This record gives sequence, C-alpha cells and structure tokens, in this order.
Amino acid sequence: MLLPIGNYHPTPTSLPQSVVRRPPRSHPFSAWRALRELLWVALLPLLGCDGFPKDPEHTLDQVRNGTLVVGYSENPPWVVKTTGTPTGPEAELVEAFARTLSARVQWRNDTEQNLFEALERRQVHVVVAGLTDQNPWKEKVAFTRPYMEVGKEKHVLASIQGENAFIVALERFLHQQEAALPPSVQP
Amino acid sequence: MKQLVKFEYPPELVPAFRQAKRLEWLTIAYLISTAALMYLTMGQSQAMKTAWFEDLLSLTPAVSFHIATRVILRSPNEDFPYGYHRAVSIAYLCSSVALFAVGGFLLIDSATTLLKAEHPTIGTVVIAGHQIWLGYLMIAALLWGTFPALYLGKKKLPLAKQLHEKNLYADAEMNKADWMTAAAAILGILGIGMGWWWADAAAAIFIAFDIVRDGYTNLRQAVFDLMNQAPKTVDDQQPDPLLDQVRRTLAAQPWVKNFSFRLREEGHIYLGEGFVVPTEDNEQLAQQLEDTARQIERLDWRIHEFILTPVRELSEQESA
Repeated sequence: MLLPIGNYHPTPTSLPQSVVRRPPRSHPFSAWRALRELLWVALLPLLGCDGFPKDPEHTLDQVRNGTLVVGYSENPPWVVKTTGTPTGPEAELVEAFARTLSARVQWRNDTEQNLFEALERRQVHVVVAGLTDQNPWKEKVAFTRPYMEVGKEKHVLASIQGENAFIVALERFLHQQEAALPPSVQP
Repeated sequence: MKQLVKFEYPPELVPAFRQAKRLEWLTIAYLISTAALMYLTMGQSQAMKTAWFEDLLSLTPAVSFHIATRVILRSPNEDFPYGYHRAVSIAYLCSSVALFAVGGFLLIDSATTLLKAEHPTIGTVVIAGHQIWLGYLMIAALLWGTFPALYLGKKKLPLAKQLHEKNLYADAEMNKADWMTAAAAILGILGIGMGWWWADAAAAIFIAFDIVRDGYTNLRQAVFDLMNQAPKTVDDQQPDPLLDQVRRTLAAQPWVKNFSFRLREEGHIYLGEGFVVPTEDNEQLAQQLEDTARQIERLDWRIHEFILTPVRELSEQESA
C-alpha cells in the first residue's frame, strides 16, 4: 500500500461510504422463469406417459410383432435345457413376456460370458441364466429390478443397456407377474 | 509475549453471525437430505452421479465454516500470538482444492462416458404398489436440490458481506448457482427419456465444468488470501474503501509530516502497519502514535490491530 502522496485527491463523493457495497444486480427472475419452464418440460411427458422413455436403438419397436431374441444358459431350476425349447420359471417368464408384445421367441444357447458379450453388441434382447443382482456384469448390461427374492438372492433378467423403453416394458411385465410366480421355487 | 487482543464480533454483528451459523447448519442438513435422495435415485445416470458429487462437495464450505468459526474465536496465546484467524483462510483453501480436484475428475469421467458411447439405463421402481420410471424420481430429487438451495444462497449472501466471510460468500454463491446444475441434470434425464443416450453424459460434462470453474475461482482467492493480498471487498474484489479511510486519517494528523502504511487480511480481520515521519521537536510522540493507532482501529471492526512506527524519513516511492 505504498502509494505516492501526490496521487491522493479526496473527492466529496469518496467520503464516508459504507464498506458493504450494493450487491451486483442478480437476476432471480430469469432463474425462476427458467425453472418454471423447466418444470413444464419435466411434467409434460408425465401427462402423455406412452412412449416415454424411448429406446435409443428402438429395441421395443423391433420386438413388438416381431422376434424376441433370448439368450439362455442352463442354471436349474431357473433355466433348464431340454432337447427342445428350455423350461424353468425364467424361460416361461420370457415366453409370456413375448406374448404381451405379440412376438415369437428365438432361443439361443451359449455360455453366460458369450451371452453377455452378445447383449453388449445388441445381438440378443434378453438373457436368462438364473442371474442375481450381485453379478459383476451389471456394469456392462442392464439388469432388471428383481422379479423374485429367494433368501438374500435377488433374481433378475439381463437386457441391453440403455434401451429404456424395452426395459420399462419388461419390468412392468415382471412386476405384474410377481404375484403369480410360485413362491416355493428353490435353487 | 505480546499477543493480539482476543477478537470478538462487534455487538451489532452478533445477530448476523448467529444467523449465519444457523443457516449453515440448515445448509448441512439440507445438503445431506439432497445427497441421500440423489443417491437413492441415481441409477446409471452420469449426470446424476456428477450432480451428486457436486452436492456432497458443496458441504465442504458449510462444514469448514463451522469448524473455522469455532477456532477463530479462541484467544491468542503463547503458541499462537496472532490468534487463529488464518483458520478461515485454510478452511477456504481446503474447500476450493476439493472443488477443483473433484471437478477435474468428473470432467474426465464424463468425457470418457460420452466417448465410450455408454447408453445409460434407467428402469422402474415400485413405490407403494405403483411402478414408476426412475427418471421421474431423479427429476423430483433434483428439484428438491434446487429451490431450497436458491433460498439459502440468497439469505447467506448479505450476511457474508456483513461479516466479511469469504468462505460463506463462496458457499452462498454456490448454493445460488445450484439451480443450473439441477437444470442441466434434469435436461440430461429428459434426454435419456427421449432416447438420446448422449444427453446424460453431455449434461454431466456441463456440470463438471461448472464445478471446475467454481473451484478455480475459489482456489485463486484462497491462495491470494494466504499470500497476504491487500484487502479486497468480499463481493466484487475491489480494493477495500477502508484503505482510503486509513490514508485520510493519517493524512489529517497535524504531527505527521509523511507517512506510509500497509494492511493485510488475516481471515476476516485486517492487520496493518503504518510508518510515520513525525514533525520535529515532538514531545508527545508516544502518546500521539498510540492515539492515532487507536483512531484507525476504531474506523471499522475489521481493523483488528494497527501498529504505528516512527521513522526518520521515507523514500519518495514509499510515501503514501
């Protein structure tokens, strides 16, 4: 603070002034307006719930009235391999889900690893393998919310990551089925 | 050992100080509630994750305010003759470093998510028998993270100026700017709903960028404070008009031929030294030095200690 003395010219306007300055004019109104508009944008889809959320890759549209490609890996009693189509509660669940979409099921048998990789490449739509939500693949593929709990194990199906319309449709179906599932299924 | 006088807020500021403390407790409770809601609804959304981190980080100014206010009011002692005021600056530095570092991490994290073209999954949840899309709950959580924050920020700004609390000021500014974070995250989630997988990561990048910017501004200020920058106003970083008042007080003394002075910020108080060339045959020099120093200290509560030293002469560029 070493200023040359010659530079100091007190002016009447610079005399006692409060140190607490007037705050720079903020714009609360524009913020409020933006938020209000945002609220509307947020609420509009709620009104027309159909078709929201949407799929980035249109999985649900492709499956409806078409083919549901299901990968399965044997894991009794959930999925049991037979000479024909697989059986077990999870196989039946997927069959019933396909019916709600008027789709036919195309089964594909492989190892769990290969099926998850196929899911990542979007070559299958759903994987059933008696999976639980503790499976480490949950970071790479989309697990549904548990459709059944046995002890501490929460059983889930796997689907394509980010295909939210399809996942919501599948979860809605699973939620409706929860009551209908036999509670006595034991691994 | 000569110690600083114990600092106490002037009586007229005590209510403001109490209110600031109350508001900061409220802020902590509120931010924890938002963080909990966001954590529960986060899902796979990168924007939610980023907004959640921002929320947790915005706890640091409030927490450090509480810690600092406890520490600064302690009496100076043998070990800390200058008192504990720097605690404010240190708290401020810590919170800005946290902001800056985590912001940088989130920026990279979000950019990678975008580059890897990860499609975020948002499924459904069942609440009281109703199955709803988790995205709507995320939006609700974000809205809860917006309006009360705006209110808290607006309430804290004037207090921060009154109390000359930079930490509190930064906190209030961040609360006020929180609505942008929430708006960005909401747009990201609505984008996911529209089938635009990239919207989420793009929103996250926007939020992370905002955190980095906040961090940078505050970090700069915190470092300047610790480097004894000359006092600036809390809100717009202009030279404090108090400097002018001190200059005028010194210039008005009939016994002072020439003078120079400097002030520095120590937390939210100022400490300063003045150098005066007294007129000749001055017999009451000690008395005058003391009187003038007290007069300067009385200019404003923030000038906590001002020391005047008589000198024989001041060089041309030193005189003020």
